[in-house]
Amino acid sequence: MSALTKFRRSRYGWTLLATLIVITYLFPVYWMVATSLKTNAGVYASPPQIIPWPPIFSSYYEAVITNPLTLRSIFNSAVVGIGTMLLTLVLATPAAYALARLQLRGATVIMLLLLITQLLPAIVIATPLFVAFSRIGLINSYPALILADTTFTLPFAVIVLRPFFLSVPRELEAAAKIDGCNQFDAFWQVILPLVRSGLITVAVFAFLMGWGEFLFAMSLTTNEAIQPATAALNKFIGQYGTQWNNLMAVSTTIALPIIIVFASLQRYIVGGLTAGSVKE
Amino acid sequence: MAQSQIQAGPPGRAQTKARGARFRNLNDYLFVAPALLYICFTMIYPIASNLRMSVYDVNVSTFLSDTAPFVGLDNYVKIINDPTFQHAMGISFLFTAGSLFFQFTIGFALALLFNRAFPGNGILRALLLLGWMLPTVVSGSIFRWTFDGSMGIINYALQSLGMLDTPRFWLIEPGTALIATIIANIWVGVPFNMILLLPGLQSIPLTLYEAASIDGATRWRSFRHVTLPLMRPVALSVLLLGFIYTFKVFDIVYVMTRGGPVDATTVLPIYVYQLAFSFFRFSDGSTAAILLLLPLSVVAIGYLWLSQREEAAS
Repeated sequence: MSALTKFRRSRYGWTLLATLIVITYLFPVYWMVATSLKTNAGVYASPPQIIPWPPIFSSYYEAVITNPLTLRSIFNSAVVGIGTMLLTLVLATPAAYALARLQLRGATVIMLLLLITQLLPAIVIATPLFVAFSRIGLINSYPALILADTTFTLPFAVIVLRPFFLSVPRELEAAAKIDGCNQFDAFWQVILPLVRSGLITVAVFAFLMGWGEFLFAMSLTTNEAIQPATAALNKFIGQYGTQWNNLMAVSTTIALPIIIVFASLQRYIVGGLTAGSVKE
Repeated sequence: MAQSQIQAGPPGRAQTKARGARFRNLNDYLFVAPALLYICFTMIYPIASNLRMSVYDVNVSTFLSDTAPFVGLDNYVKIINDPTFQHAMGISFLFTAGSLFFQFTIGFALALLFNRAFPGNGILRALLLLGWMLPTVVSGSIFRWTFDGSMGIINYALQSLGMLDTPRFWLIEPGTALIATIIANIWVGVPFNMILLLPGLQSIPLTLYEAASIDGATRWRSFRHVTLPLMRPVALSVLLLGFIYTFKVFDIVYVMTRGGPVDATTVLPIYVYQLAFSFFRFSDGSTAAILLLLPLSVVAIGYLWLSQREEAAS
């Protein structure tokens, strides 16, 4: 056997090991999808059906498509996710730019405040927000959820975006100013297009964090018309009890945007989570 | 990583500038003002509000009218002496220690594996992250199902392997509920640990390993004497960050057990949640929230200090 074959064989050995680990690790996710595609009889079959064949979509029909509460909650989560994404971008982008470029006094203190915010438990924020929002009649509203969710996406966004702005050459900005741009135009027309991939990372994360948020969803909504999908899923756990196929159908539906986004925008996510090192 | 980003902007320019020039920069602050105001509202206000509520008696009848009486430190005395609080504190530390130990060791082992060059490395590594990206409510409901006593796949697997004689009702028995939630939380946290440890491994110069092997070091010895010491600062900051993120876990435990059976899995955030949102004892909730912040603050200060030092060193 030549040295080269040996070398390649050993490298594929690592691939095999890593593949086995990933398959084992992702089995619970597979099991969620598989269970959602079974009939009641299939769920209770012994030994368990590892592959649900033929796949049955009746749980999706019963628990998602014909269930107005599920549909409504998915719509609510989409609104909250998109709202969180927009508010995060609007607040974080100029802040990250200024903290990278404008040599503000107190910049270190501001970054420190952002980091501390990121480390706070959501429950510490939930009670005061509940009291404050109750007083101004904002409980059971999209703005309440969006404002609360942005607490954790904003620091993340600034921390991820700042290095992107730092990597834009200063000369470009100077050149834009010589061409007659003011500070704002230079920022909007010259700098922003250059940090596009950072903005995508932040947008994707902010949406996903808003979509999957749970504690604020539970504490700031009591009305089913406004409750996000995560809170609805929590309710189904009580309601469906042991109808595991229905429960897994709702779970899979909530997980679906993450799986889609993950498959299509994976490179933005991997970079982003290393940079931001967060998740609520 | 977060710790490399704290220092903002090259220092010193502002100080060297003439005093009058400072006001010319006032416009610059407009860029950060909205974010800063926001932080005041969502971070400083809640902490202040918790502190304030913790010395008043705010409950369901007084929280809207703002007429709660001042009670000084009575709430703190009451909560600290509450056996449920003491129990929740203990459970939180157990949950955190158990999660952290396994998340970190498994994450470290996976980082060592993915630090090697092999075909498919990138895509396999990314696939692992999927488990961590799922909404924790979804992960919680999956584990509720897999740990189910009558039909769960975990019982089936353990019984087939002969490791269990009769089905175990993991989430209903007080002795195993905490273990099940810890296992679920380890599953969520492993990719996070791996992805934060990997850059540390990648930054160790290959020449050090070459030198070690020339000196006749075995693989184990070069791991023991090159990898481990050089990973110490990264590992420490990952552990501190992991402590903070684990100590505040609410979602996965709540979805799996609601804090039960009885209070076997009532970690501190669930305890605070129940006080405020099940019993509407807002002052008690705020008091417990402040007490929850105490151990977190100690660790957070350590983490931030470490990050600043690393930043200064690099």
